[in-house]
Amino acid sequence: MTNPVTTAPADDLRERDPAEFLRRETVVRYGPVPDRIGGVAVAPGHCRLEGDAFLAHDEQMRLLYRRGEGVIVELMGESRPGDEYLYLNGSVYAAAACINGFYPIHASAVAHGGRVFAFTGPTGAGKSTLTAALGAAGLPLFCDDTLVLDLADPQVPLALPGHKRLKLSPDALELTGAAPREKVHPAIDKFYADPVGGSWPGPLPLAQLVFLEEGAAIALAPITGAERMARLDDDHYTADFFRQSAGLDAAGWFRLKARLAGQIGMARLIRPRDRTRFADTVALARDWIGGQ
Amino acid sequence: MIARMNAPLRKAESTFVETALDDETIVMHLDSAEFFSLNRTGGAIWRLIDGTRDRDAVVAALAAEFSAGAAQIGPEVDALLGQLRDAGFLDAG
Repeated sequence: MTNPVTTAPADDLRERDPAEFLRRETVVRYGPVPDRIGGVAVAPGHCRLEGDAFLAHDEQMRLLYRRGEGVIVELMGESRPGDEYLYLNGSVYAAAACINGFYPIHASAVAHGGRVFAFTGPTGAGKSTLTAALGAAGLPLFCDDTLVLDLADPQVPLALPGHKRLKLSPDALELTGAAPREKVHPAIDKFYADPVGGSWPGPLPLAQLVFLEEGAAIALAPITGAERMARLDDDHYTADFFRQSAGLDAAGWFRLKARLAGQIGMARLIRPRDRTRFADTVALARDWIGGQ
Repeated sequence: MIARMNAPLRKAESTFVETALDDETIVMHLDSAEFFSLNRTGGAIWRLIDGTRDRDAVVAALAAEFSAGAAQIGPEVDALLGQLRDAGFLDAG
């Protein structure tokens, strides 16, 4: 009897090194991209996820991701600087993550004590600004804007280190002391910036998800019970990608939220959007994370 | 439809999913996606609805569990049963 020759299954890397797996899945090449997916035409300004593929289409480019085949980009006109990066690291990356069973959350995060502390809220809530400021307070950046969770281990949601560069508004640069790099996009008043506290390089368990809210008094309070599940009803487009990719019906979505609500601590950080109180907010968040 | 008071109470199993989180029992209707959060007492009533107990048996079991009188507990049970019926979580008795 001969020894069987075994080859690593295609998804072995997915288990061993999920961040590297996703990086390889989203390698870009250039070539023709159809304007339809699954027989459905995708008009400019729209995108569509269909099975194991995702197509994004705007006036200047089409981008197609298909599982196991990477991303194909077709440039069709004068794209503005930054357009391609934003697509590749935004909707295309999120779709690729979802198609491969990862769960992206609209959050920015820092690392501390071998765990991840993430801040979430709608666009403009101050996620990037706060995490950048926490970097200056000694906590390395874990991710900006999108936190990708690997749910393969049923006991622990594992967060993957960020794939996006830190983006800050001029106001946030001033508040955090971060040095600006190039402008993100001609039409967006944000700049790329190097995280002051450095970046965390590897996956870590997600410890806390903190919801940013506005209020007169600065406070940080835990979220308990049913509200933890309700808070996971993220209205960001990535939640729709994930539900569609995972084929989750209402019951499946409920069970996933129940699982995450049971495994991730949650809190609300209430603070005034007042520059003069920003340092106090950062100090409270820093102390709270340090005490976890 | 009027439910018989002495009929065993049954959950309409196909209409909901549930989980326990902290001290709450959370039940979601699968059609409406509406959440119901039951506190400790509500969660105890929910657990006692097992297809064998009628309303009086639920009240008696709850009174024993919480060391309270049936007269005190009864209205609470009736109120919750009414809400659960209205929400479609209970089979018609």
